[in-house]
Amino acid sequence: MKGKDEIGLNVADDDFQTLRQALRRMPTPEPRAGFVERALARAAAQPRSQQAESLPGRLRNFALRWETWAGAALGGAVAAALTLVLLRTVDTPAVSPQPQLALVLNEARNVDVLIDSERELKGATIRIVASGSIALDGFDDERYVDWQADLERGSNLLSLPVVARTAGKGRLVAVIEYQGRTQQVAVDLTVVEPKTSRS
Amino acid sequence: MREHVVALYRSAYRWTGSVDRAEDLVQQLLVRLYPRLAELRELDRLRPWATRVMYRIFVDELRRERASPVQFGAEASVDPEMPAGEGEAWLDPGPGPAELAEQELTQERLVRAWERLGQEHRVVLSLHDIEDYTLPELAQIMDIPLGTLKSRLHRARARLRELLAAERIIAADRV
Repeated sequence: MKGKDEIGLNVADDDFQTLRQALRRMPTPEPRAGFVERALARAAAQPRSQQAESLPGRLRNFALRWETWAGAALGGAVAAALTLVLLRTVDTPAVSPQPQLALVLNEARNVDVLIDSERELKGATIRIVASGSIALDGFDDERYVDWQADLERGSNLLSLPVVARTAGKGRLVAVIEYQGRTQQVAVDLTVVEPKTSRS
Repeated sequence: MREHVVALYRSAYRWTGSVDRAEDLVQQLLVRLYPRLAELRELDRLRPWATRVMYRIFVDELRRERASPVQFGAEASVDPEMPAGEGEAWLDPGPGPAELAEQELTQERLVRAWERLGQEHRVVLSLHDIEDYTLPELAQIMDIPLGTLKSRLHRARARLRELLAAERIIAADRV
């Protein structure tokens, strides 16, 4: 029995089915070993900025800043180094020596925190706590913000937008939580009054 | 998503004819889809949707290649964007169906002909004649009118026959 295929070819006359069957038997090489796992892992490692799309309003912009700075060279801001040692048996937070930074009242500045991870950490919780004379720019009413992110093995740079609200001492703390373990890095800041020129 | 990756890779391989490029294409697709996993879980048929996204990535790459002085090798001897009917005058109609039936359609010949087929022709044949997407589904995936799609499929089949005929002659010369 003759029939027509979707574009009107008389498939029996045309014998296109012979060719079609041959096409279906045409071999395709398998992807390289481990390709699927690698491809999925790379895809999962990419979308920090897109993951941030699920975050509400201001936090979204904040998290996007993370993406922007990840992998970038250290800028002019203060960088604080935190090494996550995942095999550490003691869960007490390891606090690195605290760098100092001075800001002028009402000055806004990015403070870069370098997080050096010994291995990839998927879904680590990052908490930023600003206290004393400083606040996170855009988060004046909140003591801390936190979100989840994937950390890459090696250096991850987090740029924190800080604004000096009152004169005095302030502290910025970045806390990383992963599988029940916590580590943190802190930066002490001093906010000074702007110098006034005498006439 | 994982269960579809190998099938998508096979499509990509048939389109590109290269393991490297097929893997690259699938990798780009996954990067694009990964942030939307929650949304994808709601889809009844993920594969056609993912195929559509992958096709768009593929077409973008083809456009970039065509604009670039560096080419990935001689392919697409027929302009896939050529309107229906144009260029068919010079096409050798190739062997008729009876001849085709008589010939031994060896896998080797078919693979060589496929490799010489233009990439857009590979796509339409791959999706319609190998993967069994219907024309309306395919029109949606490729984002082209049904009439254009039918013409493209017709030309792709004609071109494949032509290439198979050429392969037959080459094979005879070899003997």
